[in-house]
Amino acid sequence: MITTLWAGLSIGAVYALVAIAYNIVFVGTRVFNFAQAYILMIGTFIAVEAATRFNLPLIVAIVVCAAAGALIGAVEEIVAVRRLARTGSHNELVTTLGIGVILSGIALLVWGSEPRSVPYLKEFGVLEVLGGRITMGELLLIVVALVAGVGAWVLSTRTSIGLTALATSEDRDAAMLRGINVRWLATGAFTLAGALVGAVAPLVATKTYATYHLGEGLAVKAFLVLALGGFGSFLGALLAGSIVGVLEMFAARYLGSEWQNITVFVLLLIVLLVLPHGLFSRGKAQERVV
Amino acid sequence: MRIGLRRYLTAPFWIIPLVGALIVLALPLLGAAPAVLRVIVSICLLALLVVGLNVTFGYSGELALGQSALYAVGAYVAGYLAIQKFDLSVTFFVALMSAAVVGLLTGVPGLRLGSWSMAMVTFFLVLLVPDVVTLLTEQLGGPSGLTGIPLPVLFGAKLTTAGYYSLVVTVTIVFFAAVRNFIVSPHGQALRVMHESPVLARSLGFSVTRLKLTAYLIGAIPAGAAGALFAYQDGYISPTSFGLSMAIVILAGSIIGGSASIYGALVGAAIMVIGPLRATGVQQFSLIIFGLLLLLGALFFSGGIAQLFRTLVRRYLVRDEVLPDAQAAVPSDELISRLRGETLVVEQLVKRFGGNTALDDVSVTFAAGTVTGLIGPNGSGKTTLLNIVSGFYRPTAGSIRLEGDDLGSLQPHQVARRGVARTFQTPVIPKGLTAAESVAIAMQSAHGVSLPAAVLRLPGYRRTIRRHRQEALELLALLDIAHLADVDASALPLGTRRLLEVARALAADAKLILLDEPASGLDQGEVEELANLIRKLRASGATIVLVEHNFEMVMSVADHVYVLDTGRIVSSGDPDQVRNDPRVTEVYLGTAFAEKEQ
Repeated sequence: MITTLWAGLSIGAVYALVAIAYNIVFVGTRVFNFAQAYILMIGTFIAVEAATRFNLPLIVAIVVCAAAGALIGAVEEIVAVRRLARTGSHNELVTTLGIGVILSGIALLVWGSEPRSVPYLKEFGVLEVLGGRITMGELLLIVVALVAGVGAWVLSTRTSIGLTALATSEDRDAAMLRGINVRWLATGAFTLAGALVGAVAPLVATKTYATYHLGEGLAVKAFLVLALGGFGSFLGALLAGSIVGVLEMFAARYLGSEWQNITVFVLLLIVLLVLPHGLFSRGKAQERVV
Repeated sequence: MRIGLRRYLTAPFWIIPLVGALIVLALPLLGAAPAVLRVIVSICLLALLVVGLNVTFGYSGELALGQSALYAVGAYVAGYLAIQKFDLSVTFFVALMSAAVVGLLTGVPGLRLGSWSMAMVTFFLVLLVPDVVTLLTEQLGGPSGLTGIPLPVLFGAKLTTAGYYSLVVTVTIVFFAAVRNFIVSPHGQALRVMHESPVLARSLGFSVTRLKLTAYLIGAIPAGAAGALFAYQDGYISPTSFGLSMAIVILAGSIIGGSASIYGALVGAAIMVIGPLRATGVQQFSLIIFGLLLLLGALFFSGGIAQLFRTLVRRYLVRDEVLPDAQAAVPSDELISRLRGETLVVEQLVKRFGGNTALDDVSVTFAAGTVTGLIGPNGSGKTTLLNIVSGFYRPTAGSIRLEGDDLGSLQPHQVARRGVARTFQTPVIPKGLTAAESVAIAMQSAHGVSLPAAVLRLPGYRRTIRRHRQEALELLALLDIAHLADVDASALPLGTRRLLEVARALAADAKLILLDEPASGLDQGEVEELANLIRKLRASGATIVLVEHNFEMVMSVADHVYVLDTGRIVSSGDPDQVRNDPRVTEVYLGTAFAEKEQ
C-alpha cells in the first residue's frame, strides 16, 4: 500500500519534471514542445552509456546528460521553432513532434529496441520509508521534482529573468518594444528545459530503464499533469504529478496493468471537461480580440 | 494555352478524378497483377485516413493524431462482427458509427483547451489501443491478433478478391466525393474562415466549437470505413497495425500531399505507400525518415503538392477575366430595403480589465433607422464598446438590449445571429476565398445550405448557392467593386478590403450594423461614396453605428454623436452641438487650446 504510494509519487515526479519543462518553454515562448519527453529519453540512453561504457560517476553523468539535453533543446528551437515564427505559421506541434520522432528513430537505430538498465544507485538497494519500500533513485526523483518545481516558481516570480519571460508570454510585441530580446529568451527557455530533463535522465533511467519509446507515454502523461495543474503553474505541476502518478499506480495494482493508462486517460477527459483551466491556473489573461 | 477564369471556376473538373477513379476500378478487367491491386488497396485505405485528417488538421486547424486509433476501432468492430457472421452492410455501418462515437467522446474534451489538447488527447488514444485490445482478449484476440475474419459477404453474396478490390475503390470514391462536396460548400468555407480568424467566424454567426466538432466527426468517419475494409484484407488484424508509427505515417502523408486539400490526400498516400512504406530494407531508419518528413514538410513545404499544383495552374494556365454575372451585377435597392433596423439601448455599462477601467458608466442609445457616430481619442473605449455589444467581452456591469432582448449574456455567434453585424478596425478577410465568397459566407449561418444537402448535393443546394452569389454580387456592385468578385479577396488593397467588409456586414440582414473605422485607408472619393452609401442605408431603415477618426465624415452623416474619453461619455448631441462643445475641443486638442479658443 505505502509501497504503491511511493511508486506513484516517484513516477509522478517524473511526469511533474517533464511538465515543469513544458511550462518553462511555454512561459518563455508560448510553444508546446512535443519533443520534451523525447529529450529525456535520449538522456536515459546517454546515462546508460556513461555508466556502462565510460564508468562515469553519477554526478558526472548528470552533467553530461544536462549538457546534451541543453544542446538538443537549443538546436530544436533554432531548427524547428524559430523558422516557423518567421513564416508566421503555427505548425510547432508538427515540427516538434517531428523532432521527437527523429529522436526516437535515432535511439532505435543506435541502441536497439531492448530496454537497457543503468547501474546507478544500485548499491543502496531498497529502502524502507514509512513502512513502504522505495529505491534511492525514486526517493531522489521526488526530492529533485520538489526542488525543481519550487525553484522554477521562485525563478519565474521573484527574478527579473523570470518576470521577463512571463511578460513576454503575455504580450510578445509589447515585450519586444520594451527592449526584451525575445529570440534569445526563446532559445534560452528551450535550452533550460532541455538541460532540466537531461539532468534528471540518469535518475529516471534507474526507474524506467532506457527504451526508445519512453518518450510517448511520458509526453502524454506530462501533458495531463500540465492540464490538471494549470498551464504555466509550476506548483500546480507538482501537485498534479503526484495525483496522476499515484492514481496510475493504484489502478495498476488493484485493477490490473492494462487499466493503468486507461484510468489516466479517463482522468484526462474529465479534467478537460470539468476543469479546463486546471487546479492552479493564473486566470486567463484578457486578450484584445479585435 | 490558357483557359479563362470563368472556365477555370465553373468547368466540371471533378470529372477528371472521377474518370481516373473509374479506370482504377476497371484495372482487374484490364489484367492488372494481384500485387498491383494490393498496392492500390493500401493506397485507398491510407488515403481515406489522410483525407479525414485533412478535414480536421488542414481545414479546421486541429491536429488530430487519433486517425490510427479510429482506424483500429473500425477494424476491430468490423472484424469481430464479421466473425459473428454479420453481413458486410452491417459490419461496415456499425464500424463507421463506432469510429464516430469514439471520435465524439475524445473530440469534445479535446477541443476544450486549444490546439495542444486535441493533439495530446488523440495521441493518448493511439497509445491505448494495445491496452484495450488486451483487456478484450477473448473478443478481440489480444496482443497476438484477431484471426479467422471471413471474406466479406455483401447482401448474402460472398465477395471474391476482385469484388473486395472493387468495394475498396468504390468506397474510396464515394467518401472522397462526399468530403470534396463538404469542403467546397459553404460549410467548408466556414471552416477556412474559422481557421484564419475564429473571431470573424463567430461574428458571422458560426459556433467555433460546433464547426470544429463537425469537422472532426467528418474526419473520423472515413477512418472507421478504412478500418472496416482493412479487417477483410488479410482476414487478420493485430494491434501493431494501429500504433503510433501509423499515426505518424498518416500525418506525413497529409503534409506531403497538402493538408488543406482533398486530392492531395490521395497523392500523399500514394507516395507514402509506394515510397517509405514499401522499402523494407530501411526498416530501422523508418522513424528517422518519418520524423524528417514531418519536420521538413512543415518547415519548407507547408502547402504540400496540392498547393504547388494550384499555384502553377493558376499562374500558367488561367487567364484572369471578369465573369459575366459579375459584369452584369447591378446595385440592388431591393436588398438594402430588406434591412430592418432595431434600437440598441446600453445602460450604465462598466467594463474593467483587472484594475483598469475601460468603460465607466456608459449609457448610449443607437436608435432604429439612424446613424450614430462614436468618436474619441485612441484608447477612449470605442472599440471596447463595440466588442461588448458584439459579445466578445463580458460587461462588468450594466445592460445591453436590442429591442428589449438582452445581449449581455450571449456568445458572439448568438449575438451575430440575433442580428448584429460588424466590420473590424483591421479588415479580416480570410485567405483562399474570393470576394464574392467572402460576402456570401455571411449568409450561411442564418439561412444557408444544410450539411446533408451540401454533402449529397440535394436539389436545393445549387439554387441556394446561386441565390447567395447573386446577392453577394449585387452588394459588391453597391460598393462599386463587383468587378473584383472572383479574385482572391485577401490580396486586395486595404481600402477595398474595408469596403468588402461593409458588403459582408450588409449581407447578414443585420438589425444593427457596427462599422469600426470604415473610412481609414480610403481616399477622399471613396470616403464620399461610403458616406453616400451610409445615407442610403439609413434611408431604407438600417441602424448604423460609426466608429471613426475622420471627424468630418462623421459630422456629415451622423444623426447623433457620442464623444468618449477615457471610458466616459463626455459629450453627446447632434453633430453641430458636439462640434461646438468646448469639452470636445479639450479632449481632442488639450485644455490650453480650448481656453485660447474662448
